[in-house]
Amino acid sequence: MPIPRSNDFKMAALGLAALVAALMPHVASATLGQPEITVQTDVAQAHAAIKYSEDRTGYRVHEIQMSSGTAVREFVAPNGTVFAVAWQGPTRPDLRQLLGQYFDAFASAPRTKFTDRRHVQIQQGDLVLQSGGHMRALSGRAYLRSAVPSGVNLGDLH
Amino acid sequence: MVSVRALKMGLCALLCLSAAACGGGSGRTLGNGSPPPTSTSNTASVIVDNGPLNESVNTLFTTVTVCVPGSTTNCQTIDHIQVDTGSYGLRILASVLTVTLPVETLASGNSLAECTQFVDGFSWGPIVTADIQIAGETAHSLPVESIGDSRFANIPAECSGTGGTEEDTVSTFGANGILGVGPFELDCGDCDTVTHGLYFACTATSCTDTTVPDNMQVPNPVTHFAADNNGVIVVLPSVAAGGASDVMGSLIFGIDTQTDNASGTQTVLTVNDEAELAITFNGQTLANSFLDSGSNGIYFSDSSIVTCTAPPSDPTSQIVNFYCPTSTLTLPITIQGTNGTMTNNLTFGVGNAITMLDTNFDAFPQLAGTLPAGNAGTFDYGLPFFYGKRVAVAVEGAMTTAGTGPYFAF
Repeated sequence: MPIPRSNDFKMAALGLAALVAALMPHVASATLGQPEITVQTDVAQAHAAIKYSEDRTGYRVHEIQMSSGTAVREFVAPNGTVFAVAWQGPTRPDLRQLLGQYFDAFASAPRTKFTDRRHVQIQQGDLVLQSGGHMRALSGRAYLRSAVPSGVNLGDLH
Repeated sequence: MVSVRALKMGLCALLCLSAAACGGGSGRTLGNGSPPPTSTSNTASVIVDNGPLNESVNTLFTTVTVCVPGSTTNCQTIDHIQVDTGSYGLRILASVLTVTLPVETLASGNSLAECTQFVDGFSWGPIVTADIQIAGETAHSLPVESIGDSRFANIPAECSGTGGTEEDTVSTFGANGILGVGPFELDCGDCDTVTHGLYFACTATSCTDTTVPDNMQVPNPVTHFAADNNGVIVVLPSVAAGGASDVMGSLIFGIDTQTDNASGTQTVLTVNDEAELAITFNGQTLANSFLDSGSNGIYFSDSSIVTCTAPPSDPTSQIVNFYCPTSTLTLPITIQGTNGTMTNNLTFGVGNAITMLDTNFDAFPQLAGTLPAGNAGTFDYGLPFFYGKRVAVAVEGAMTTAGTGPYFAF
């Protein structure tokens, strides 16, 4: 598929964000596992800004800078599906929005023996959700195993 | 803060010199003939045990007394408060509180509440004030989070939306409370000007994300002590490789404020503005690493070490995230502070987690677990780091003879 140069894309994305916000003010669609357009929904809803959009081998990354100082990255496959999301910063972003239908898997993860409050590793069906860090520096990511384009190094999704 | 702290330290040093009264340190173990201590007892007992749920491992606890502000009788002593060098502030489960603590009120007249974010979830509750006492140290009208307080039962969507499990009961929290004594003063770096979904202003019917003045935020309680307020020293004995039960130690308040907390020749590792430092392991320098009494193991990525297999009886067991080598491994690391200082000759052990956790012990120096590949820049060295060591955690701006905080020293 043709992939726009990142600056062009950023301009287009920002314009689209405004359009989305104007036309669909109540859109609460999910992001993980959803079409790329939901990246702009996230931006519009979070009053954040796309810091950059970057084409990498086999996928595209949008980094959204939240006003809280937290960075959110959304990873888009060539077929236009957001196959992974990641966050890093002093506090978590709105994961209900970012994880969409997969939010409940994190919310309902049972407390188990041997675990502390610093580590999360969830594998549930297609979903993998991992989180770490400590107060004032939290990070995490979630991806859909079946949606990760072949050849993508999971270690690069952060 | 710094100058006040420095003044207090200087004052204590002067008292020590003039009265020879600071000898005996904690004041708890004076022998016959020793002069009575005029200094504050600055040492609390800590223990690694299996916690209020009878299932904790490598979790450090202490005991805290809380009083209604201004009262010396309307008080309660609460055990199994987790000691956490990876967070900031005192938080107590409201379900264990028998005293009624007043809620902080913002200038707007609204009540202040907090949605504390932990890695695996959040804890919601109002910010109350309490006079607290730990060992002989006191802090007056300290902002404290009252977690799961029935007076604030409705969790805002902005709070639950930060994700993870709600940890508002002892059974979901795993402790009666938590004492965050990490190297910063506050639980948020910029909540006085930026909203984070952390602090909320509540009316009778709803709560909204808010900024909050620094002096109303939940602080590291040590910074509010009248003395010994520039940091803590965690002292724990060595623990047998296979584990032990009910390991006892000390939480000493203050650094260079009394004879029992004087700095010596320890290695001082300054941390960055995320309380992190660099750990080099397997030839990789991991810049977002941290030393953390609130992590219950040694967490890192090494795909060459075999992980544990879930038992057939519990196929979804989280044990799969721990390492299970067939024989104990001894691995070298170096730790480097942002001041450039580097440790030498450090090693850590990795034992078989299933073998260890099958015992009835609760302290395991060789319990190690995996970090996902996306955390490739992190080595999380939890409570096992503290066994057999005397680890000082100096608060930001603290000026000690060994260096200026924020730092870890050992």
